[in-house]
Amino acid sequence: MRRGAILQLTVLALIIGGLTTAVAVIPNWLPPTAAEQADRIDFVFWYVTIICIVIYAVVGAALVYSVWKFRVRPDDDADGPPIHGHTGLEIGWTAIPFGLVTSMAIISAIVLARNDHTGSNPLKVDITAQQFAWTFTYPQHDKLTTNILRLPVNRPTRFTLQALDVIHSFWVPEFGQKQDAVPGIRTHITVTPNKIGTYPIICTELCGLGHAVMRSTVIVMPQDKFTAWVNQSGKAVSGGGAAAGKAVFVSQGCGACHTLQAAKSTGKVGPDLDKLPDYAQQAGMPLEQFVRESIVDPEAYVEKGFPPNVMPPTFKSLPKAQLNALVKFLVDSSKAAK
Amino acid sequence: MTEVATNGHGAHVEHAPAPPPTGLRRFTAPGWWRVLWMMPLFWGIGAGIVLLLRWYAAWDPLWEWNALVVVAFLTTMPIGFLAGLGAFDYWVHYALGGETLPEDHSGHGARSWKDYFRVNTDHKVIGIQYLVTTFSFFVIGGLAAMVVRAELAKPGMQITDNQGFNGLFTVHATLMIFLFVIPAFAGLANYVVPLMLGAPDMAFPRLNALSFWLLPIGGLMLVGSFLAPGGPPAAGWTGYATLSTHLPMGTLFFNMAVQWAGASSIMTALNFLVTIITMRAPGMTFWRMPLLVWANFTTSLLVVLATPFIAGSQFFVMFDRILHTHFFNPVGGGYALGYQHIFWFYSHPAVYIMVLPGFGIISEIIAVFARKPIFGYRLMALSMLAILVLGFSVWAHHMFVSGMADYLRVPMMITTLLIAVPTGVKVFNWLGTLWEGRIHFTTPMLWALGFISTFVIGGLSGVYLGAVPIDIHTSDTYFIVAHIHYVLFGGSFFTIMAGVYYWFPKMTGRMYNEALGKIHFWTTFIAFNLTFFPMHLIGTRGMPRRVADYAPQFADWNLFISICSFALGASIVIFFYNMIHSWKFGPKAPGNPWHALTLEWQVSSPPPVFNFDEIPQVIGSPYEYGVPGARHALLNGAKTHELEEVER
Repeated sequence: MRRGAILQLTVLALIIGGLTTAVAVIPNWLPPTAAEQADRIDFVFWYVTIICIVIYAVVGAALVYSVWKFRVRPDDDADGPPIHGHTGLEIGWTAIPFGLVTSMAIISAIVLARNDHTGSNPLKVDITAQQFAWTFTYPQHDKLTTNILRLPVNRPTRFTLQALDVIHSFWVPEFGQKQDAVPGIRTHITVTPNKIGTYPIICTELCGLGHAVMRSTVIVMPQDKFTAWVNQSGKAVSGGGAAAGKAVFVSQGCGACHTLQAAKSTGKVGPDLDKLPDYAQQAGMPLEQFVRESIVDPEAYVEKGFPPNVMPPTFKSLPKAQLNALVKFLVDSSKAAK
Repeated sequence: MTEVATNGHGAHVEHAPAPPPTGLRRFTAPGWWRVLWMMPLFWGIGAGIVLLLRWYAAWDPLWEWNALVVVAFLTTMPIGFLAGLGAFDYWVHYALGGETLPEDHSGHGARSWKDYFRVNTDHKVIGIQYLVTTFSFFVIGGLAAMVVRAELAKPGMQITDNQGFNGLFTVHATLMIFLFVIPAFAGLANYVVPLMLGAPDMAFPRLNALSFWLLPIGGLMLVGSFLAPGGPPAAGWTGYATLSTHLPMGTLFFNMAVQWAGASSIMTALNFLVTIITMRAPGMTFWRMPLLVWANFTTSLLVVLATPFIAGSQFFVMFDRILHTHFFNPVGGGYALGYQHIFWFYSHPAVYIMVLPGFGIISEIIAVFARKPIFGYRLMALSMLAILVLGFSVWAHHMFVSGMADYLRVPMMITTLLIAVPTGVKVFNWLGTLWEGRIHFTTPMLWALGFISTFVIGGLSGVYLGAVPIDIHTSDTYFIVAHIHYVLFGGSFFTIMAGVYYWFPKMTGRMYNEALGKIHFWTTFIAFNLTFFPMHLIGTRGMPRRVADYAPQFADWNLFISICSFALGASIVIFFYNMIHSWKFGPKAPGNPWHALTLEWQVSSPPPVFNFDEIPQVIGSPYEYGVPGARHALLNGAKTHELEEVER
């Protein structure tokens, strides 16, 4: 190969590499990180990106150079030179990519091991996923249950996930970590938040009609605020009345699918609960009995215009006290809305 | 009876078809009139079996729609369709003790458009049947994608509801994978592989006809699922349990459509394997086979070994629903992740089923239009075998976040990253083939070069996904959507386009319009990259896939993507105009418009009914461009005086 060709190829590779680098650097490819794990994932991301830029520049330069230099001249009917291969080159472009991917595998394996390392004293959080809501329980804090996740900063948190109906997936983009919740088995993941803030929780595994709205929020707070919240919430859970019913409504994620003014929810997957008295009338049942039946046996009466088999049948296992509070809350607030 | 072609031994004599039956005989002769009564009859047999058993066992309710739909609508009625059309006539005749009929070849070749609508045993007719059918389903799948993009143009719900949206993207992906990419390759190979081998047809022409006719059944089931109570299947093309066992009846249509398309795929693959092993022309050793034949050989091995696994996974889901088994439902002791292991044990190799034939097409086109021998021919074939073997050891890289055993992740990551090596070798060898060539920028060559540039992006994003930590972040986001489209659109679709333009003159005997072909390429190439490249970005930034509604921060990009996707959809119209118009009015094509060396170009366009007047004698490599005096094969009696010089 002539020296001129090598020079031109190098210039082309630098131009294409430069353009590719611009694509890699100018937009923000990754969300701002808020966990140690995400920082390590970002490191792997950029390591792989650098290798990919080099490979793309080499391939692009060879392709552009060939298209530019070896295009056929008009009326040239000749064939190219009969080159059948080059053993050295072929060994080279087998061995070099082999080395590169091996390095990626080693770095990935190290990062994976460190991201899974939880330490001796993690905060434990049990995540229960169901269509289409998240419930978080703190087994180390009297099984305190909430639908908005609160975590102390800089402490490893070990999540244990379970699903009640179908597969869901727990993801906070700023944490980098993701884990499916699978019915019948328990899965685990570790996150060490390192930045105070509020981030979205997203379900990333298709789980049915309400998949897009199966969202929640995680609040990362200083340890002392977290402790204060735990102490305060522990008291508020007991006690009856509308507050208890509303708490069940919120923690069970009813609002993801249903509209209810009293709970400020605007879900559109299922029927509008402010219209419960009308539905009860159409079903020909007393309001309270109708509401109870619709929770424990949702297929008994399906409101016109809504498909059957969407509302999960799992709510029949709610503790009696919570179910009663929820029914009372729905009856009272839907009457008030009317 | 007119003798049209012989192979020198007088074995292949084409017979004119029998005159079309009239009156009541129309209803007994194979064909669409017989389909009219056989479909209802077989539906009745299926429904009768279900009702009789349920009545005998005193099960309530008697009319159980899940069982009726599976047995009567999705199993026996399609069998009635095939029986009516005549797919089983010869076998039934033989099984009932009838004499072996001397083959009269009346089911061979096409004399009018009507011959494309019957059980035709000619591999060239079947190839075109495949291509026209698959492109029809491509249009339906593409329109579904257009609705999906229209819905995603703005956050919130505008055009469809959640049920409709989930159904649309599920049917889009299923049609594109099972009814377009896989069978379109089978169609191209059906036409070309026997010609390239120097064979008069496939090894099993009747099986070949049956495999084709299974395909529209699967496709119509998916399209028809929109009429099912509760709507079409809506669990994504991956159909994960336990969502798929929870959803309405439409899922059954998905389960069974995959069976029909899968059976078609397996039968064709077996046919290719036997054809390639036993029907090569004299002198066509394995190391003299064109790389397209090598590609279909490895693909067929993958299909035969892997496809039964997806059949199993879909049967299990269906049994969980209609027989109340508990393969995947944990309430009865099932294991939900079992579905994913079985599904991906097929569906990862399926990725190579959808791209290896494309590698073959690209190798043919690049050698011809660079006017050079393939760079490193043997390494090209061996790298496909390496992909075949490694392809079976990487399935769990789809499951890094699924909750499977942790220790499986690192080994699966290593095999996944390693498979990039043989794939990279192919790209580098194509570049080596281009080097110092005389590159002709015809439409097929543009698609081949476009394929290299986009497929490299798809391959590199695959390397990101192979690295477990990055995969954990990007799983189930739009990064995956971008990756799969760079591989299946920038990869498979571009190669199908390259192949269709390349062999269009051979198949139709007409030339396509080169200017329109180039406009089609450039509009598709640009619109494709503008549509799918930004999806990488919104994915890593945090947009999950399979959602109809999304956070407002992604609104601008989604609007941009939707507009570009409409341009992409519109660019396909140019293709259909070019194909249909050229097929009817294009200038007549010579036998070998590209001056290619492989055997299919050494006969007329389109080829005679039995391909070769005389079986050719292969004497060398198919890629000896630029080698003075080199020949791939001797045709039409040339061997009588040249054979002495031939090394055997």
